[in-house]
Amino acid sequence: MPATAPAQIELPPPAPPQSRRRREWSSIMQDRGLRLSSDTVLSWLTRGSSLAILGMLVTLLVVLTIAAVPSMKAYGLSFLTSSEWRPNELEQPRRGPDGKVVMEDGELVIETLPPQFGALPVIYGTAVSSALALLFAVPLSLGAALFLVRIAPRIKVSAPVSFLIEFLAAIPSIAYGIWGLFVLVPFLQGVEMSLHQSLAHVPGLHWMFYSTLQVGTSTVERPIAMTGRDMLCGGLILGIMVLPIITAVSRDVLSAVPRAQIEGTQALGATWWQSSWEMLRYSRSGLFGAIMLGLARASGETMAVTMVIGNNNQIVLSPFAPAQTMSSLLANEFAEASSELHRSALVQVALILLLMSLAFNVAARWLVVGKEARTAAAH
Amino acid sequence: MFVVCVLFTLTILTILGLVIGYLIWIGAGSLSIKFFTELPSGKVADPGGMKHALIGTAVLIGLASLVGIPLGLLAGIYLSEYSREWWLASPVRFISDVLAGVPSIVVGILGYELLVVPLGRYNGWAGAMALAFIMVPIVARTTEEMLRLVPHSYREASLALGATKARTILRVVLPAATGSVVTGIMLAIARVAGETAPLLFTALGSRFLTTNPNLPFPSLTVQIFTYATGPYPEQKRLAWAGILVLICLIFVLNLAIRLTARSVRVAK
Repeated sequence: MPATAPAQIELPPPAPPQSRRRREWSSIMQDRGLRLSSDTVLSWLTRGSSLAILGMLVTLLVVLTIAAVPSMKAYGLSFLTSSEWRPNELEQPRRGPDGKVVMEDGELVIETLPPQFGALPVIYGTAVSSALALLFAVPLSLGAALFLVRIAPRIKVSAPVSFLIEFLAAIPSIAYGIWGLFVLVPFLQGVEMSLHQSLAHVPGLHWMFYSTLQVGTSTVERPIAMTGRDMLCGGLILGIMVLPIITAVSRDVLSAVPRAQIEGTQALGATWWQSSWEMLRYSRSGLFGAIMLGLARASGETMAVTMVIGNNNQIVLSPFAPAQTMSSLLANEFAEASSELHRSALVQVALILLLMSLAFNVAARWLVVGKEARTAAAH
Repeated sequence: MFVVCVLFTLTILTILGLVIGYLIWIGAGSLSIKFFTELPSGKVADPGGMKHALIGTAVLIGLASLVGIPLGLLAGIYLSEYSREWWLASPVRFISDVLAGVPSIVVGILGYELLVVPLGRYNGWAGAMALAFIMVPIVARTTEEMLRLVPHSYREASLALGATKARTILRVVLPAATGSVVTGIMLAIARVAGETAPLLFTALGSRFLTTNPNLPFPSLTVQIFTYATGPYPEQKRLAWAGILVLICLIFVLNLAIRLTARSVRVAK
């Protein structure tokens, strides 16, 4: 076979650089002597955004603390223990140590008391309404989570039911507020009035239907007006609002229980409830984290509570009495705050609310995420 | 006990049914075309409509998205792509989660102190920035989750072909996750559309149609709150109609989110 020379491959001549064509960003930068590549730009942009998120938290804490300083200086620790919230000055006759009015030259001596701010009623309100919400929501949520994990997959309803329960979470809180105000409050008013008629005479339940007031120097006992707008209604609405979050997180935590655990209990002859109880016990820290997440949401919730809780800034033990939470206090009074000190006291309440919510969130995430990390590491 | 769990689930579904049912039933009874086309008339017996509030909410969400979405996207890209380079990534992730749980009224107070006090009056910028504050952690976390779902082989192939890291992220990873990232953004918008508390003392709310953010700005949620807690029954009916519109908006957004997510998974 005659050897043929390898064919000459004709390469096209290199294209001359056209000044109109778009040049690479990096080559433009190189021509100008800058060592700035798109890599560095994106790296710094994204790093800056992450720092911005850190900065957001720091700004939140710093700005609120600075704005609360006048109130902190004026009231100190008594802010947390005093029950008196009075944004206005009070003129009253001065009373001597024996309780009688002091007379000078035949006239009453009027003293002016400065505004007094104490956050104990709203701290009490937030604590009790959140506790009521959890009391209502936790059994329902755990039951629903067990249903979703153990029963629903077998009858193929887990996806629709999960979707419906998560749809509860998407409803804005003002919708809950309006529903509560116009539907739940009249219903509860009817229920409470009939309870009042039937149970008010029972000696052990006296505290539920009567409250004691300080009028002048004497204490008076008055029946609580059953308006339906009270702590009970606030707790119920909050409970409905935290149902989806506790259910969703509990469902995720319970579905992470290894099948071997459940099958082991069943092999030992456990009933359905006994093996479910074992599941609950196994994931108790994750469930506790779910409850804390619900608590964090319940304590920070504003609009629904403001509309149904009655806005009475006093500590009354009965669940049928109107109350006030920290967030509803802020929603009601902040836009109409009468003085710098009033506003500063409100910002101090906001700071307490923020720190409380941060503490719950951090604890919840540590419990839920920590448990998952430990489970993942163990398997 | 088995029966108890089923009963509890049915109770939750009944509560959901009661809430949604009443909202749709009473809302539908109060809704009319006047709601969308008229401005508040100032008359007690015939309060007009909420056109100003609808436009106000749209403008506020638009302004908030202008700031919140880019910031959240970039932070999410950092958390998913660059997290191995710096020790600060996991604290930022944690703090991002924690920030998402801050009560929205506290965010409103921050907006007041930072943007209302210096300017001397309630304005729409403060409201929009308060909403952006709420949006950023949500967008960052969902972007990070969605970008993490993109298979590593995409990145490795792109880097093997000689692309820089920035080009890999912008031209390969982000387009692969576009549907999911848009889902996250819509989630944030749905959340922010229903927020009332941050707007209460930043934008304050107004009865007038305005598109100037330097003035007190109307919004659907604050207007509903004002009408619902007021004494006039006609205004309360308008508040019900507003709630129905708000819920429909959020429901449509959630539906769009689910459809987009499903189509993204099918496409892969």
